[in-house]
Amino acid sequence: MKSTWFFIRKELLESWRNYHLLIIMIVFVIFGIEGPLMAKLTPDILKMASGSGFSIKMPDPTSIDSWQQYYKNMTQIGIYVLVVIFSGTVSGEVSQGTLVNLVTKGLPRYSVIVAKYIVTYLQWCLAIITSFLISWGYTAYYFPDNKTPNIWLGLWPLLIFGLMFVAITILGSTLSTNNYGGFLISVIVFIGLTLLNLFKDSKRYNPIALVTDNMSLVKGTEKISHIMPAIWITIFSALVIFYLSILLLRRKKL
Amino acid sequence: MNNADIITNNLPLFIPLILLEVGLDVAALIHIFRHKNYRMGNRILWVLLTLFLNPLGAILYFIIGRETY
Repeated sequence: MKSTWFFIRKELLESWRNYHLLIIMIVFVIFGIEGPLMAKLTPDILKMASGSGFSIKMPDPTSIDSWQQYYKNMTQIGIYVLVVIFSGTVSGEVSQGTLVNLVTKGLPRYSVIVAKYIVTYLQWCLAIITSFLISWGYTAYYFPDNKTPNIWLGLWPLLIFGLMFVAITILGSTLSTNNYGGFLISVIVFIGLTLLNLFKDSKRYNPIALVTDNMSLVKGTEKISHIMPAIWITIFSALVIFYLSILLLRRKKL
Repeated sequence: MNNADIITNNLPLFIPLILLEVGLDVAALIHIFRHKNYRMGNRILWVLLTLFLNPLGAILYFIIGRETY
């Protein structure tokens, strides 16, 4: 336990020193501002693009547009940003040999995975929640309507999906020998889950439902109980994948 | 309505966005000029990318361009 805590502190310091925390925060803050901004600008941009010859009727932007843009960013580019930044977290240390000293001096190998998982998830959560609050503030200021009653309900599934996806990123990083391998594995899993969604029957059980149904949850057209099976499957597979990475690192040659 | 109007009408949204991007660029440029070696590419490439590909250039530099020791 003590060694895990030690490694967590090392990971936090590393993330600060190699700018990972800075980058993920800046990118997600930009996303947070971009949601309301795009919602507000889209009618103007369309008006300019279509010229002054004829006028198209555009409905006024509402808070729905703003949140839609936010969740689109979070669940697509946001996921890839997470993978790009953290895909080398284990493989980098293995290839540079920085783990050898610590492990031979008595650091249990599971501590490495546990600490990396916790730190990665914490950073991602911090970024997501910061950008959520920013987006919330602007949306409440620019679009004070009540078309999106359950704004918090869209965020929880996203955070739970992160539990699994951070585990996948760590597993990919443990499996591969360089950054790109880990990146590829995570992206393939994400695309595979998206493709699985094409089958209608699997929708309730597919973890990807947690990042595709956010808007209907926010608008209140769908109850959270509808995706409950997917939530349990996500949590369960997060645990399995997490345990798999621990087993893998135990066998890996450092 | 022209471009300038769009920006002045949405100042509360644009000011933090611009500050963030300029801040990131300055941080990246300082880092680029303080280091001689990069994991890939050279100094001119990274300066150009940072300046003209906003904000992706600076982010790319910190993720894949920066030399790690």
